[in-house]
Amino acid sequence: MNTNNEIVSLTNIIKNYDNGKVITKALQGIDLKIYQGDFSVMMGPSGCGKSTLLNIIGALDRATSGSVIFNGKDFNSLTNKELSIIRRNQIGFVFQNYNLLPVLTAYENAEYVLMLQNIPLSQRKEKVMNLFKEMELEGLENRLPRELSGGQQQRVAIARAVVTNPLLVLADEITANVDSKTAQSLLMLMEKLNKNNNITFLFSTHDPIVKKFARKVILLKDGRIDKEELSSENI
Amino acid sequence: MRSNLLLISKIGWRSIWRNKRRTLISLFSIVIGTGIPIFFVCIAWGFYAGLIDDVARLMSGHITYEHVEYRNSPSNDLWVDDIQKIDQTLNNNSEILTTKQIVNLQGVAHTAKGSVGISLMGVEPEKEITISFLPENIIEGKYLSKGDERWVVVGQKLAKNLNIDIGKKFVFTTNNVDGELTEELFRVKGVFKTGSKEIDGHFVQSDIGIARKVAGLSNDDVSQLGIIVKNPDNHENFIKDLQKSVAKNSGVFLSWQKIMPDVATTIRMDRTAISSFMIMLVVIVLFTMFSTILMSALERKREFASLLALGAQQIELKIQIFLETIFFGLIACPLGALLGISLAKWVEGYDMMDMFGGKAEDMTVGGFGMDTIITPLFSLPLILQISIFFFFAVQLLSILPIYLISRISITDELRSA
Repeated sequence: MNTNNEIVSLTNIIKNYDNGKVITKALQGIDLKIYQGDFSVMMGPSGCGKSTLLNIIGALDRATSGSVIFNGKDFNSLTNKELSIIRRNQIGFVFQNYNLLPVLTAYENAEYVLMLQNIPLSQRKEKVMNLFKEMELEGLENRLPRELSGGQQQRVAIARAVVTNPLLVLADEITANVDSKTAQSLLMLMEKLNKNNNITFLFSTHDPIVKKFARKVILLKDGRIDKEELSSENI
Repeated sequence: MRSNLLLISKIGWRSIWRNKRRTLISLFSIVIGTGIPIFFVCIAWGFYAGLIDDVARLMSGHITYEHVEYRNSPSNDLWVDDIQKIDQTLNNNSEILTTKQIVNLQGVAHTAKGSVGISLMGVEPEKEITISFLPENIIEGKYLSKGDERWVVVGQKLAKNLNIDIGKKFVFTTNNVDGELTEELFRVKGVFKTGSKEIDGHFVQSDIGIARKVAGLSNDDVSQLGIIVKNPDNHENFIKDLQKSVAKNSGVFLSWQKIMPDVATTIRMDRTAISSFMIMLVVIVLFTMFSTILMSALERKREFASLLALGAQQIELKIQIFLETIFFGLIACPLGALLGISLAKWVEGYDMMDMFGGKAEDMTVGGFGMDTIITPLFSLPLILQISIFFFFAVQLLSILPIYLISRISITDELRSA
């Protein structure tokens, strides 16, 4: 599915955390490219910098040095507000703990970013309902997150991430809180969205099930990319 | 932006009901915080309004026309003339309800029992019945009638001190306008009781005709012309207008605050005390609510972080927190106002002495007795003022949570999840 359209280009990304006493080197010179249609996974031991890298790609954090070019825009030259607009319009996030807003229903959670984008009501409804149908969430629209199972909540979170048709969806340990059967079905769903809607996914995980679905595996070790391998099985 | 605001409002509204018990406690404290001051203010301002009106009607009106030097030394030889013409002009003014012509004489009342310094007020009895509460407070005998020559009404305490009763006489000694000593014999037609030691012990009313005669004044002269106005609160500009258009060279129009500075000062001090109490209550309520609002915002830091991650702007989160306190204020302040008004309505007509005990004689302001029947004043501007004050005070609570939320780190909060 790789169309060779570069979405993200990271060059010599270094990220240090300085708590005033100790400087922790989280990323030590990462070079990485992500292309449209990728279904990639970042793996590695705890503390290897997976989440830090995901945060930098997702414009949630800034690199200490190096450049992040996202869809032709250099994050270093953008203000926090401009980064926030990029997150709103071009990046979807799926979190380990779902992070659904507990006071909004499943439908409203999925609708949230569309409302931030000022999409008219009729279009919002159409987009969310079509997606809910595709993701087998029909009938759960009016339920609050606490009334949903972990797997259902994660589906809603995925719906929220993809409803705006973003260039890139970043998923951080999304199978950590669900059983393997649910994890499998979530990954199948995301794979379907990747294939049908050409949505690019980048996962950060420890879970070998995710690796089974990925077409590219990026192995991180001590803040560096140790290995990038393509999975011939999934290409 | 409109759909954003709707979304933010929806999240804010639902967020405040996430912990119903905490929200209800917060709302309750604002309701009490708004309701109690409104209750006290309705009652107190009602007392003051009643007192001012009663005293003004008994004495020399809400506005008084008198000799320019009379305030410094209220002696018998300081009077204003051409009063019938002035009186007629004033009575044609739509702001004025009525007027009362007064001749005041300071002197001494003598009987076989002894002598007491008194203030004799000559009035027009037929008008006084419609203006003052004194005729209703006659406990023995009758009130004056027009043309009552040497009849007077006296206070209960004065009657006791002089050992006089209905039909009994006393001699009144005073100075006339030429400074000559003059005496007159009066008979008691009625005895009144106001509850004020000063008035019941030293105040006498007679027909204005005999008072003029004793003082040596003509029918066109008075010591004071009392003016009863429709709106006693706002008369400063009106007084200026009257001064320009009506006053003679020697005459001056003065407000009741200048005529009765003791009453005005006492009321001002009382109002300051109530306002201080109100501010203390605001501080207590805000302190109670502060931790609630702060906790409610801080425990949602991860939620705010994930909203920021999804592309929400900082300003939208700030608006959400601000809207939450607005919702608190919008719900609780009107309910508080309703509570205050309802409580005040509930006690309306009760006698304070029955409720709290004590003697009516002790209820005096500036030497004048207060009506102990509770008559609240439901002033819409005042109630709105207190409610709005509380509403804005509650809004101050959102400042710190907004500041703290504006400093959250998305990655730190999401990592701590």
